[in-house]
Amino acid sequence: MHRFSGGDKALALLIMALAALALLVLVGPVLVVLITSFTTSQALRFPPPGLTLRWYQELFDPVRSAQIHRAAGNSLLVATLTAIAATALATGAALAIARSRAGWARFAEGAFMAPLVLPGIAFGLAALMFFSWLHLPPSLWLLVAGHAMIAGPFALRTIGASAAGLDPALLESSAALGASPWRTFRRVVLPLIMPGVAAGAFLAFVSSLDNVPVSLFLSSAQTDMLPIRLWGMMETALDVRVAAASGVLVAVAFTLLLVMDRAVGLVRRMSA
Amino acid sequence: MPDQMQPVRTLAPAGHRLDIEAVRVRYGQTLAVRDVTLNVAPGEILALLGPSGCGKTTLLRSIAGFIRPDQGRITVDGRAIDRLPPGQRGVGIVFQSYALFPHMSAAENVAYGLEARGRPKQEIVQRVEATLAAVRMSGFAARRPANLSGGQQQRVALARALVIEPSILLLDEPFAALDRSLRLDLQLEIKRIQRRFGVTCVLVTHDQDEAMSMADRMAVMNAGQVEQVGPPTELYDTPATAFVAGFVGTTNRLSGVVEAVMGEAHDIRLDVGGVMRVQSPRTFSRGARVLLCARPEQLTLTGGEAGFAAELRLSLPLGPSVIHDVVAGATELKLQQARHGAPPPPGPVRIGLLAGARPSLFPEGDTP
Repeated sequence: MHRFSGGDKALALLIMALAALALLVLVGPVLVVLITSFTTSQALRFPPPGLTLRWYQELFDPVRSAQIHRAAGNSLLVATLTAIAATALATGAALAIARSRAGWARFAEGAFMAPLVLPGIAFGLAALMFFSWLHLPPSLWLLVAGHAMIAGPFALRTIGASAAGLDPALLESSAALGASPWRTFRRVVLPLIMPGVAAGAFLAFVSSLDNVPVSLFLSSAQTDMLPIRLWGMMETALDVRVAAASGVLVAVAFTLLLVMDRAVGLVRRMSA
Repeated sequence: MPDQMQPVRTLAPAGHRLDIEAVRVRYGQTLAVRDVTLNVAPGEILALLGPSGCGKTTLLRSIAGFIRPDQGRITVDGRAIDRLPPGQRGVGIVFQSYALFPHMSAAENVAYGLEARGRPKQEIVQRVEATLAAVRMSGFAARRPANLSGGQQQRVALARALVIEPSILLLDEPFAALDRSLRLDLQLEIKRIQRRFGVTCVLVTHDQDEAMSMADRMAVMNAGQVEQVGPPTELYDTPATAFVAGFVGTTNRLSGVVEAVMGEAHDIRLDVGGVMRVQSPRTFSRGARVLLCARPEQLTLTGGEAGFAAELRLSLPLGPSVIHDVVAGATELKLQQARHGAPPPPGPVRIGLLAGARPSLFPEGDTP
């Protein structure tokens, strides 16, 4: 057995202190914005002089917050479509990569993961220039294409891990029993990689929902996105509804995370 | 995908003939299977036996349709199946890992092939029930594979392969994942089921005991080639090559020189000393270097001056028989004899050939 020496204890203390600091830096701002969203003040100020639900009421008021609602609708629609597109593409890529031992498969995997390190702002600008060179007017579809590019690697990560664990003998059994490739996919492959697919879809959805750099370049007045709209409100008026909207987003994301973790062990899959 | 090739169920199913003609499989630069020809009679169990990398699994996968041979033909009842996809060959396969679908119950696993063939629901239910009963797994229909023991999983895998009424059943190391104590029971069980379904069977194994107990005939493979095909007893008694002699059963290898030849009788002067007279249908000329392969039960401890001198190191009494561990010079030998009383003490002994025993002679330098 390993015994803790004085040096080990000092190291353990240091690690705990760093963890506490990280927790404070990560969780602190979220708590501040959540508390601020209940303020009775007209301005974004912390600590709040008193507490009220007024800003949430205003946020959900269909008339006064119509623009926010339209932006939220756009964001949810784009996030949903992005999740579908990124998951479908990543599933195909993950299965092909898992099945092949060839060098090109390793190369393709690296290429598909590359957007992860691509600076979003550079990609946003490049996408805007590329689409206008093609004479494509701004639309939700272009936003979905741009977001899918960024969200793809997240989906590929979790689906790839699931696909790599698939026993090739299962596919051969299915084929030998007379199943078509499509039936094999539907009845054997998909059910077995489903946890990875669901986790990947969730990550793609969330990464699209709060994407700023790509949306900044590709959205227009008609295709206003929620993060862009909130930023605009901050710049002009320091509107407290921004804090309320942040509170709603945090609550939704956290609930989804809990549900997904319960269903497919999301946290374990993300760290796989 | 309905499949018209499956024969109608009959009470006394007739087996199907499998012919493998000059099949060659190349992996890059190496030949995994070198022009193998094998014929399997209807209802027969043929075991492909050999060390890992000998090409037996590649040959099995060629029959199943997972590998397309570079040359040669594979036919069932004279009809070529080489160009058909795996699902249309009428071939059932049981994998070493069983490869049961983990998210389906035993019954759903067995139903899978029938559903893929688009059979009516009612027929599927009946046939799944009947086949699970045939492998004595009726009580486990609703269980997932994770909740079944290794032996139970194997039976479900067997039922899944048999329910589609294959012409040929392929078994890929089916007992490798099981406890040794379970194997004999399941070998008997599978043989019983195979007889009942009358299905022609190819069994791949590296375990000679398994091949001996299961197979009607064995094909011993080495380096992509078939060294010998025949009933297990024939391979044991008259191995065609030194490799077969070494791989099937235990063998003692003694080098020597042919001193005299009289018809089939060869007098061999052994390197360890002494002369042995061996009857060999394969004749050698005087002065040829040969390898004498003798089974443990073909050698005996002699009294007197016959045979050659050796040192008895250890004796293991095993009920009715006794195993002697003997060394002559640098050559280690094993002898097995009927036991009479307590085994002799370690020390110098003389070893000779048991009267009437027919060990095999091979040219020296013949594979390992």
